Amino acid sequence: MNNCTDTNIQEILPDLLHRTLSADARERVEAHLATCEECREEVEALRTVMSAATFAPTIDVDGVVRRIPPYQKITPMVELPARPRLVSWLVAAGLAITVAGVGSLLVTRENGTQAPAAVVITGPAGQNPTQPAPISSKTPEPATLPNTGVETIQPHAHALALAADVDGLSDGNLVQLMNEMNRFDALPATEPDPVISVDSGYNIEQDLR
Amino acid sequence: MTPSPEERPEETDMELITRWKAGDSRAATRLVGRHSQALARFAASVGEREGIEELVQDTFVRAFASLDSFRGESTLRTWLFTIERRLMLDRRRAERRSRETVPVEESDHVSEYGALDSLIAEEAQERVRLSLEALSPTQREVFTLRVQQGLSYKEIAEVVGSTEGAARVHYHNAIRTVKEFLRDE
Repeated sequence: MNNCTDTNIQEILPDLLHRTLSADARERVEAHLATCEECREEVEALRTVMSAATFAPTIDVDGVVRRIPPYQKITPMVELPARPRLVSWLVAAGLAITVAGVGSLLVTRENGTQAPAAVVITGPAGQNPTQPAPISSKTPEPATLPNTGVETIQPHAHALALAADVDGLSDGNLVQLMNEMNRFDALPATEPDPVISVDSGYNIEQDLR
Repeated sequence: MTPSPEERPEETDMELITRWKAGDSRAATRLVGRHSQALARFAASVGEREGIEELVQDTFVRAFASLDSFRGESTLRTWLFTIERRLMLDRRRAERRSRETVPVEESDHVSEYGALDSLIAEEAQERVRLSLEALSPTQREVFTLRVQQGLSYKEIAEVVGSTEGAARVHYHNAIRTVKEFLRDE
């Protein structure tokens, strides 16, 4: 047996058996087969494979067709007309104003409804002003500062914490403000620890005096 | 006398598709009848064991649902083989996932041969079965599509998601193995 190296012929041998070759190609292949024992053997092998019918179930054509949904043409999506640029800017400005207004309203309402803590700052004798004052759920009462010389703290004083300018606050208000800030739960956890420890015995009021 | 639709000779697949799109359900019947057995044989040849009829049904349902994407650049049968092979891969993937075994890669192949055990009876057929068993899954797919279905290398490459050159190499290796096997028997 020779070793045929004509791969062009070998590649189209299945087409010879399927009768899909052109007349010219068929003549060329048949001429080659007349002289090539290996390719003749290959054709026989292909015939054997093709004749070895593989079992496959008979398909119920009508059953398949019944499952096929009716044709629905896929329509391309309709593009919306481009919105004029001025309108887009107006819409954006309107949205911004609305958001800002609603935000301001919410902040204002929150400040007005939140019950201020009733802070009692006691005198310096044996009392610890740094101890958190009890938070009352009832109507807040003005804090008292007996015998301290510090003016009475107004119930709305804590709202001053939101003010950017604290220059106008009195010392008493500043003290109360600092005490209240110590009790804020909303302060970030990364808030640095106060330099002055509660247990250190340091009394800020003494320092202020 | 105008022949009835069933008697029209050699209507092309594209013509039948056009008729079906126009509402002629008989065109679908002709298309399914023309290609269903080839799809069933291909599935059986590459080792699909069960549910071949359901597989063929699913292939046609999926194909008809997306016929608008078929542009006729390949033959309809090649396109159907591609869909069917994809479904077989999905099946294999689902089966393996349910068994919680090694995940199937995209390059994995359809068949774990063995489906033909009881399908081919005669001696010659038994020899063919054994020779096909000796092939790798990819070689078996390529060889089956080339020899039994008569697809070109270009079409085979489309079906198996490979290149034409790779399909030729797989065919050459496959025919060499099959010849040796049949010679030794």
